[in-house]
Amino acid sequence: MSMFLQACVNGLLMGGFYSLMGMGQNIIFGVMKIVNFCHGEMLMVGMYLTFILYTFFGIDPYLAVPIVAVTMFCLGSLIQHTLITPSLGTKSFTNLLFLTVGLGLLLSNGALVIFGSEYRSIRTAYSQTYIQLGPVTMALPRLISFGVLIVVTVALFAFLKYTTIGKQIRAVSQNPVGAEVVGIDVKKIYILTYGLGIALAGTAGALLTQFYTIFPTAGASFGFRALIVVVVGGLGSIPGAFLAGIFLGLLETMSALFISPSYSDLIVFMTFIVILVVRQTMIARRK
Amino acid sequence: MLKVEGLHAGYGSVNILWDISFTLEDGEIVAILGSNGAGKTTMVRAVTGMLKPASGSVSFNNEEMAKKNSRMILNSGIVQVPEGRQLFTEMTVLENLQMGAFNKETKIHFQDNLKKAYQWFPKLEERAKQAAGTLSGGEQQMVAVARALIGEPKLLILDEPSLGLAPNIVDDILQVASTLAKNDGISVLLVEQDITKALAAADRGYVIENGRIVLEGTASELQANEHVKKAYLGI
Ligand SMILES: Nc1ncnc2c1ncn2[C@@H]1O[C@H](COP(=O)(O)OP(=O)(O)OP(=O)(O)O)[C@@H](O)[C@H]1O
Ligand SMILES: [Mg+2]
Repeated sequence: MSMFLQACVNGLLMGGFYSLMGMGQNIIFGVMKIVNFCHGEMLMVGMYLTFILYTFFGIDPYLAVPIVAVTMFCLGSLIQHTLITPSLGTKSFTNLLFLTVGLGLLLSNGALVIFGSEYRSIRTAYSQTYIQLGPVTMALPRLISFGVLIVVTVALFAFLKYTTIGKQIRAVSQNPVGAEVVGIDVKKIYILTYGLGIALAGTAGALLTQFYTIFPTAGASFGFRALIVVVVGGLGSIPGAFLAGIFLGLLETMSALFISPSYSDLIVFMTFIVILVVRQTMIARRK
Repeated sequence: MLKVEGLHAGYGSVNILWDISFTLEDGEIVAILGSNGAGKTTMVRAVTGMLKPASGSVSFNNEEMAKKNSRMILNSGIVQVPEGRQLFTEMTVLENLQMGAFNKETKIHFQDNLKKAYQWFPKLEERAKQAAGTLSGGEQQMVAVARALIGEPKLLILDEPSLGLAPNIVDDILQVASTLAKNDGISVLLVEQDITKALAAADRGYVIENGRIVLEGTASELQANEHVKKAYLGI
């Protein structure tokens, strides 16, 4: 029983990361109708940024979170303004595919050149501190990350629901023409949206650093899972991505617990395929 | 007052509008009439800054609009109810109306303007919390008109308000436009395919064919015109 609860908690934690990644991806998709294929690499950049801040400036990985988020926001905005917005004008999806895939390659290979292929990690004074919560034991960093994930997710929902910019982001994703009719600066929303999506990925990276190894392709599995989350949760749907992320995290840890950890990837991808097939047949039937 | 002169506009290398000129006085309702693909919506897009005119002038209250972007044009008081309504379907009716308040001034006046909008369209108050996409076509058109009114237009452009709606709802909406023109001095540019309804509501009208204005006159002149009768009214 306690093993089960432990797996639940870990599943929710990983699910929280997948949700955050998927929601960022979906905000970007909703607004610009593009899939950001370098989303995982942005998580990796967030990891290395946290690593640099900790190693060279002695900044605690959790205090680094806002710094990483802001830096990644600026990086994302810059990429949107200089690279993506001009390519959107061409209306060529292959352009954008090559652009974001290329950016991902650039980032992971850049990290390889700068940091080498070694696995890095951040070990703080409290990395090995364990907290007993009833039947569940959790390393303190996992617990803190869990808390921060909840706060960020709630804040994101509130931001989109209640703030002017959040409403404008939803407006552009629901109806770009309508958005222009009511005077929304669509280009500005593009910049803010991509910045926000990248900031969320970077935040996820920063929150992972104390219990996940840092290496140039560390983002790949998260990037891929973000895509699964987006497809399962529904393209452009923020609540869908949230739920699908949590589901994916739980599925992973439960299959590791009940079947075998070595099969958990297999099961995740099988489930993904089954969901796709089932949905496709359902859509076909309806027609 | 709106004065469009020698307007040319199109998409990419394809020119659609040729030498369009017309005027619209304060408190006047002017109809722009034409059949499918005549270029009416293109004209609306060029006047509202959603499409950069290739040449020509759009002057509104003696200010040149042709070089301004859509937001600046909105700020000077030209607000449109776009073709196909273009609502935010997953947002509530109230949220849609809030989006209509696009600058400081209209945000400050929002509550007052909302009350007025609800007086024009009482249905919307009942539906305030409902997602706009779940409304009937007529109700959605009311939301689109109300959203434009929240933006405090000096010039209200209606692009095919009759599209897909029952005749009595079209009458309601045109009635609102007439009252606004008479009582508040708002100018209305009524873009329509339904020539009978449009000419019943308008003071004057222009007929567009293939991107060119081919006829103009008062509503009664156009109703009596042989070409209009033959080509549009099927008489
Ligand atoms: N985005 C676009 N790109 C290229 N051509 C366009 C575009 N929009 C419209 N057109 C073309 O411009 C011409 C005029 O279209 P427009 O939408 O202005 O007509 P309309 O008078 O509003 O017609 P309707 O009554 O059907 O709304 C048409 O031939 C149309 O094919
Ligand atoms: Mg049209």
